[in-house]
Amino acid sequence: MTTKAEARLRRLLVMLPWLMERGEVPLEDVAARFDASITEIEHDIELVAMCGLPPFVDEMVDVFIDDGVVAIGVPRLFTRPLRLTAPEGFTLLAAGRAAMQLPGADPSGPLAAGLEKIGDALYDIGIIEDTPGDDTAGLALELDRPETVDVFAAAVAGGDEFEIVYYSPASDTTTTRRVVPRHVFADGGHWYVVADDDRSGARRTFRIDRIDSARPTGHRGPAPDAPVDRPAFFDDDVPRATLRLRPAARWVSEHYAVDSVEVRRDGSLDVVLPMSSERWLSRLLLRLGDDAECLSPPGAVAGAAALAATIRARYDGAPAG
Amino acid sequence: MVDRLERLTNLLALLLETPRPLTLVEIAGDLDGQYPADERNRRAAFERDKAALRSIGVPIDTSTVVGGPTAGSTGYRIDRAAYELADLDLSPEEMRAVQLAVAAVHTGSSAGDEAIRKLGGSPIGAPVAVSAVVPDRAELPDLRVAIAQRSTIEFSYRGDMRRVDPWGLLLRGGFWYVVGFDHDRQAKRTFRVDRIDDGALTLSDPGAFVRPESFDPRDAFPSDPKLIGHVAEDDVDALVRIDPPRASGVVAEVGDDRVVERTAVGAVIVRVPAANRDAFLSWVLGLAQHAEVLAPAGLRSAVVDALDAVIARGEEAS
Repeated sequence: MTTKAEARLRRLLVMLPWLMERGEVPLEDVAARFDASITEIEHDIELVAMCGLPPFVDEMVDVFIDDGVVAIGVPRLFTRPLRLTAPEGFTLLAAGRAAMQLPGADPSGPLAAGLEKIGDALYDIGIIEDTPGDDTAGLALELDRPETVDVFAAAVAGGDEFEIVYYSPASDTTTTRRVVPRHVFADGGHWYVVADDDRSGARRTFRIDRIDSARPTGHRGPAPDAPVDRPAFFDDDVPRATLRLRPAARWVSEHYAVDSVEVRRDGSLDVVLPMSSERWLSRLLLRLGDDAECLSPPGAVAGAAALAATIRARYDGAPAG
Repeated sequence: MVDRLERLTNLLALLLETPRPLTLVEIAGDLDGQYPADERNRRAAFERDKAALRSIGVPIDTSTVVGGPTAGSTGYRIDRAAYELADLDLSPEEMRAVQLAVAAVHTGSSAGDEAIRKLGGSPIGAPVAVSAVVPDRAELPDLRVAIAQRSTIEFSYRGDMRRVDPWGLLLRGGFWYVVGFDHDRQAKRTFRVDRIDDGALTLSDPGAFVRPESFDPRDAFPSDPKLIGHVAEDDVDALVRIDPPRASGVVAEVGDDRVVERTAVGAVIVRVPAANRDAFLSWVLGLAQHAEVLAPAGLRSAVVDALDAVIARGEEAS
């Protein structure tokens, strides 16, 4: 648990060497860089200026604020930042390795070279072994992608428009629509494209493995107002379902974004999760069979039974072949 | 009482500057008036400060003082070379590439931004065109340390204690896995990191095991859950007919080489592994009325049984 004093010290130990390298920095620039308010920075600088040990009382860190500018006198202590922590090192390594698998990554480019150099710092904190750069054996990130991912990723910069045939699990139908890709991302083992969609007139997220075909139309969409990021998945408008899961169905609580999980005394779980449609919930209940009980919405069990009857009709005769 | 941040900064400076390890009595003397006079309170306050410094990553060495009037007491000191981040000499292009990598890969923690600032760069706030979400788990840094220094780990996994020599970490299908040698099962095992119970991971001393040569976590288990057999049956393949609109999606999922036949109406017949019957049934039922199991007959009747059970429950409920 990081208390406030620890968080402030951690920030100071990065801020002081950075200031010492520059000598003088406007207070507002310091605040912007360290994501803090000007008052917070002022407070911390004034406090560290008072720190001291005998015989250098009050002189340990020669720093002062003059007319909105932080100035450093003679640098003595804290001239280098604190080494990376294990979580920082791990995050750098994981982000770097993952980024090496994104479309357009260059195995001999600056990221690869940078990660190689960072290897020394990661070795110092025990995040990688003594053979920097040759460590794939102990850490692997798989972001396998369909070919279309690269096509859409390349199209973002130019705003190229595509005609796509898309399967929607919520409606269980395929539709043909024209879209302009704005952002491409991987999450939870799947790839998605965020695109302006002519059919809904809105920006929508499409799962790329549900795009049956994609054809460039030769048109271009207008440049977006601002760079587009990945969206938050579910909003509060989506209706919720409550399921009681036996241990064999626990994967549901890990696979889907759930609102809440409650462990019951017999080991079963009560989960509340967003449902994209009643059809979707019917299919989920069908897959789970006896391992799940649907507590709400009330009509879901009948919905699953009706879907089961539809499928069951296919099995009445001999295999269709 | 002095501000805690001031005392922590002074303590850090003192331990960095001292040429020899200092005892708590010496530290309290140098930081005159900053620690409580009472011995028990002083020790408690110092232990809190020591833990605080360690929690932000400050390496504090402890040793037993030999000789002199304080002989036998514990001495504390910080090795400046271990404390300071080495100069990595990143070129501007390399720094930019690392910043972009951290901006593109969402790990759910601010540790990446903190690392970028330590390296002298600034986090990129604006979204980039392509990104990836890598799930964050509090255990990951410790697991990575355990793998690097070869520490046996102990953890509670859905309520069971496990002892494992961790060989590698794998992110596959959006989940983190740790692969290693399970002491209790005496065999190689794979564990989902998000199923490790909270706050229950401990590391043994380093050098506790030897990792098999050329081990690659990607080979540790099949990527297709339908292949992860926990049933006795040997390799069972099923023939499944997939109708449009799911045909092309399924072909993309299972691969072209599994297509046995393409029909005139746009349906496909695929041969898919079904060694894990539960996983197979779950997969095929998820395709709803767009899929039909053709063979073998045993699996076909298993689908019918599953459907009949759901129909019966619907009748009970109404």
